[in-house]
Amino acid sequence: MAKNDAKAAPRAKARSAPAKSANGKKQRAQAKSSAKRVEEIGGGGTNILTAVPEPKYDWMNQSRQWGVRVKPGKKGLTLGSLNVGIYGEVPDEWRDQSRNPRGAIPRRDMPPVGYAVREKAAMWADGAADLYEEAIQRRWAPATDVPWDTIEPLPDDVERAVCQVCTELCQYANIDIEAISRWQCQMAYGYHEVKQYLATATFDAARHYEAFRKRALYNGGGLGLEGPGEVNRMIIESDGGWTETVAYLFLLRGTFTMTLLRYLERFAHNDAERQIYARVIEDKARHLAYGVEHLQYSIGHIQEQANVLATVLFIGDRIFARDLRDPVLREAAAIIFGHGVEGARATGLDTWDAMMRDFVASLQATCKWLGIPRSAAGMPAALKRYLPPGSGEDAPLTGTDVASAAAP
Amino acid sequence: MPRFPSEAWFAAVAQIFNGDERYQGAGGGQCSCRAGVVVSAPDNAPKDVFVLTFDGKECLGGERADAEALADVDFYMHMPLKDWQAMLGDIQAHGHATADHTLNSLDLSREDGLATSVHGDQYREDLFFRYNQTLQFFFDASAHIKTAA
Repeated sequence: MAKNDAKAAPRAKARSAPAKSANGKKQRAQAKSSAKRVEEIGGGGTNILTAVPEPKYDWMNQSRQWGVRVKPGKKGLTLGSLNVGIYGEVPDEWRDQSRNPRGAIPRRDMPPVGYAVREKAAMWADGAADLYEEAIQRRWAPATDVPWDTIEPLPDDVERAVCQVCTELCQYANIDIEAISRWQCQMAYGYHEVKQYLATATFDAARHYEAFRKRALYNGGGLGLEGPGEVNRMIIESDGGWTETVAYLFLLRGTFTMTLLRYLERFAHNDAERQIYARVIEDKARHLAYGVEHLQYSIGHIQEQANVLATVLFIGDRIFARDLRDPVLREAAAIIFGHGVEGARATGLDTWDAMMRDFVASLQATCKWLGIPRSAAGMPAALKRYLPPGSGEDAPLTGTDVASAAAP
Repeated sequence: MPRFPSEAWFAAVAQIFNGDERYQGAGGGQCSCRAGVVVSAPDNAPKDVFVLTFDGKECLGGERADAEALADVDFYMHMPLKDWQAMLGDIQAHGHATADHTLNSLDLSREDGLATSVHGDQYREDLFFRYNQTLQFFFDASAHIKTAA
């Protein structure tokens, strides 16, 4: 303290020294007034600049568990590896209504923040922390990791088709961002692994938007038509809880997007497109991994959840089928697969059908693995036509089918 | 000059892969999985089986194994020898896999697919897609060695 005072004194003196000018009298009066004010605020002549109370360091003994030491492994110091002792206790319900990080000591006087999603089963996936690390460690940058100069002029019909598909993929990426961020801010802080992973998923989607927009604008083309958007609206407006949104966003739309990207990679016209699609496939695979793991956790911890999800998908299938009535994406993709309009007629549309068969098979396989009851009888014709021959009309009906059959 | 498939071939490719930082960025990077590489017999049964291990940023190499080992890997990639050789020939010719010879394309175009698993665990099977660039980079690294016919 004394040392600080000694340092501060000459500066204070210098500031209050009267200036030798025509305004000297006025300045002297101001300085006197200021000095008096400092004295009043400081109380009894104490300099306010040094009025810091003697620290007690009481907060230093406030920890629920001290002495934690985590060592980095081959992947470095990962988020998941920090889950030791009380810091690894993840409760089934997070009652705390503050922004208190899990493991910290809550304040008693905090008004509730009001998070809507506070149950573990409503968001959890065991691999969320690992997926977060994976997303961070395997990131890529469209600006520099894509060999843009490998894109050469394409026939006009193909360029238009690529731009159209990129336009719709930009929209999908926007929906990812909106849907995830809408729910993420409603999730309690106790499940930070999920919140952090979803932050990376949002960033992935921003990167996808960037990459597809760049491809659309790189080669003398531009953006095309907006897609039909009924599925987009269904995803954004799904209010039944995050799990329902996961079923629509990751399982239904995600599986479709993944399949489309895989075919686009296979039929890419240059290394730049091939590498864009290949890298987005990895990102989407992480999104699907979270989605599938969350649905699995949810089904394992919430009674009747598999049947609830069957009903959710029963509705989703129909809206998805309505989007399929719009021919734009199908035609554009077929032109890419067939390397032109003529090729689209010859092979491209068949390739689209093959892609749709793969999509439906993949969706069915995931649902079967998760234990979500689905039957061919319950599927809309626009999707049912892509099931393998003989896979279905005789399949057992689910409760959903019965309910829908009975509906007016 | 190692022959594909052999432990010596996987070791030689792993050495290239582990030593080149370009394979760690741009969608590559940390990877933890055990992948089977299977040369199928004409009846599609596993003929030659190798288990490829990735840990952190490294590939630890490929060890010869028997068919039972496939139950323990996350997924395995299976093709007849001529198809593996065609893929490696494409990589040798272009410096990396092109169009029909990327792992993704092979998985789509082959009737039985390329990647599958014994256990059917979707989460583990999907590591083929989550780490697809790393796997592709690994096989692409074979462009830098000479593979015996």
